[in-house]
Amino acid sequence: MTNNTKTPDLSRRTFMTTSLYATASVVALGSGTRQAFAATDLSGRQMVFASWGGSYQAAQEAAYCNPFMQSSGVSVIQDGPMNGSKLRTMVEAGEPIWDVVDVTDTFLFANEELFEDLDFDVVDASALDQSYVHAKGIGCIVWSYNIAFNTDIVGENTPQSWADVFDVEKFPGKRALRDRAYPMMEIALMADGVAMEDLYPLDIDRAFKKLDTIKDHVIWYTSNSACQQLFVDGEVGVGVMLNGRTFDVNNKGAPVSLSWNQNIRSVDYLVIPKGAPNAEVAQHFMNSAANAENQALMANTLAFAPVNPAAFPLIEGAVLPWLATTQENVDRGFLIDAGFWRDNLDAVTERWTEWKLS
Amino acid sequence: MLLRNRAFWLVLPAVLLIGICFLYPVTWLLQRSVSEPVWGFQNYQTIFGRSIYLGVLWNTISIAGTTTTLCALFGFPVAYSMVHSKPLLRRVLIFVVLIPFWTSILVRSFAWLVILQGGGIINDLLIGIGLIVEPLELVYNRFGVLLGMVQVLLPFMIFPLYSVMARIDESYFKAAMNLGANPIRAFLRVYLPLCLPGLLTGAMLVFIISLGYFITPALLGGRGDIMIAQLIFDRIDEFGDWPLASALAIVLLVGTGLLFVTVNVLLKLRGRGV
Repeated sequence: MTNNTKTPDLSRRTFMTTSLYATASVVALGSGTRQAFAATDLSGRQMVFASWGGSYQAAQEAAYCNPFMQSSGVSVIQDGPMNGSKLRTMVEAGEPIWDVVDVTDTFLFANEELFEDLDFDVVDASALDQSYVHAKGIGCIVWSYNIAFNTDIVGENTPQSWADVFDVEKFPGKRALRDRAYPMMEIALMADGVAMEDLYPLDIDRAFKKLDTIKDHVIWYTSNSACQQLFVDGEVGVGVMLNGRTFDVNNKGAPVSLSWNQNIRSVDYLVIPKGAPNAEVAQHFMNSAANAENQALMANTLAFAPVNPAAFPLIEGAVLPWLATTQENVDRGFLIDAGFWRDNLDAVTERWTEWKLS
Repeated sequence: MLLRNRAFWLVLPAVLLIGICFLYPVTWLLQRSVSEPVWGFQNYQTIFGRSIYLGVLWNTISIAGTTTTLCALFGFPVAYSMVHSKPLLRRVLIFVVLIPFWTSILVRSFAWLVILQGGGIINDLLIGIGLIVEPLELVYNRFGVLLGMVQVLLPFMIFPLYSVMARIDESYFKAAMNLGANPIRAFLRVYLPLCLPGLLTGAMLVFIISLGYFITPALLGGRGDIMIAQLIFDRIDEFGDWPLASALAIVLLVGTGLLFVTVNVLLKLRGRGV
């Protein structure tokens, strides 16, 4: 994983410099993809796009689906919400009704057999940050788990590390933590002094021991809306929160902000379920979703970071600092090891439940 | 013979519906729970051999049981007032009791969060009038879970009680008093036994629905308030582990079935005057 965080940085740095000279190249890229569509005539065809619903899917409709419909003549039907068991059942039954689905990185890694291989002759992934490209899917958005705080409560002295978040003397009162082993194991280990690059394979025993020390000072949240509400109402002063969710409440005027130190990046992938009725159209859709303009549109709407570095020049200045894939923020965090979690999620989750009941 | 029987045709649609929508999936679950990864009872051994599954099962039964008891305690006076009030007030009461049905469970749970939290209106009020100094912990614990669940499930207790109470002849109660029983004795020996069918129906409904809850405990509960439905959901959604999830569902179903049978047997015994 350390490799994963380092290689893309280089390529992006090179790219950013290049793009300084020619923002116009982005436009060229855009029209390039359009020509690719023209090569295969898809007009009049259909496909179904499934995602997580709400404002997220609405933004995806605007950023990925509508531009694709216009350029290709395909009609994209919205469906969802994405649900792991539903998706698995429809693929196992050999009758998926979804052509493109938005899934989390852990879901993709744990269920690779459920998805079609990408056709990289159609999907031009060369411009993308390669750490978000998988044989079965391309990253669509990158987000991160961050140290978040309410400035009315913590004042000037904001938490700078996960160790701070776990320090009940420095930050008395309750803290909001995510009710999942993923990414709480990483967070607990960093709080215990493990460096980002030494995290994997995770020392689960050590993580639980660290969690024991703050057991009674935590409000565990399962829903991100509940997390936002905890911070906005000042029920907690510090904790872990998604960067996009922090951007959302901060934008609405709440005294809530975040630190990028030790941030944990994660990715949502677009995938094609095995046996999808319109898999061919879906490959073209993937290509369109990955282009810089569409990725920038997504970032400007919901502050979800692009996987295509060429999107950065098209993103509003006010949004940039909130994005998990800017060079500055990448340098201060790491990409979660979905491979580790694929192999260990089950066992660690069982221990997590056990620990919570104890 | 059978085809001429009117009752047969009357129940046929219901039998088909239950057969297709309930028995088939349950058989499928049962089969998966014993056939994967290999034939045998390994999934059940997992459930009964690991502390987490038994712990969560116990949690579920205890939360559902407490919710049922609280619903009975709070629902009884409401149903009684509905029966004994004027038509207009009765309609208002029915309306009030029904309100929870019209709002989504998520909205209700979030509303409780805002009301019950440390800086919520209840704590603000209590601190404001000087009753307490530190905010009370009203949510993110068992108390919050029970409050949220009782509010949602009260109507399932109140309406069966109401329909039984409305049919009780008041003269029994008066006769008991006339014959020298004090009001408490008359209530316990005459009125309450007459309400029992409604009370038990309501209790069964509330208990069974409670067993399947997980949004409310997930939002309003604390660290240990995990219910079985949450585990079943996680097994399927996160891990695609149908065999273990099926076994958990079957354990829940069989447990509920046993309870149902026990209550019915008890009722029958009572009916025979034992």
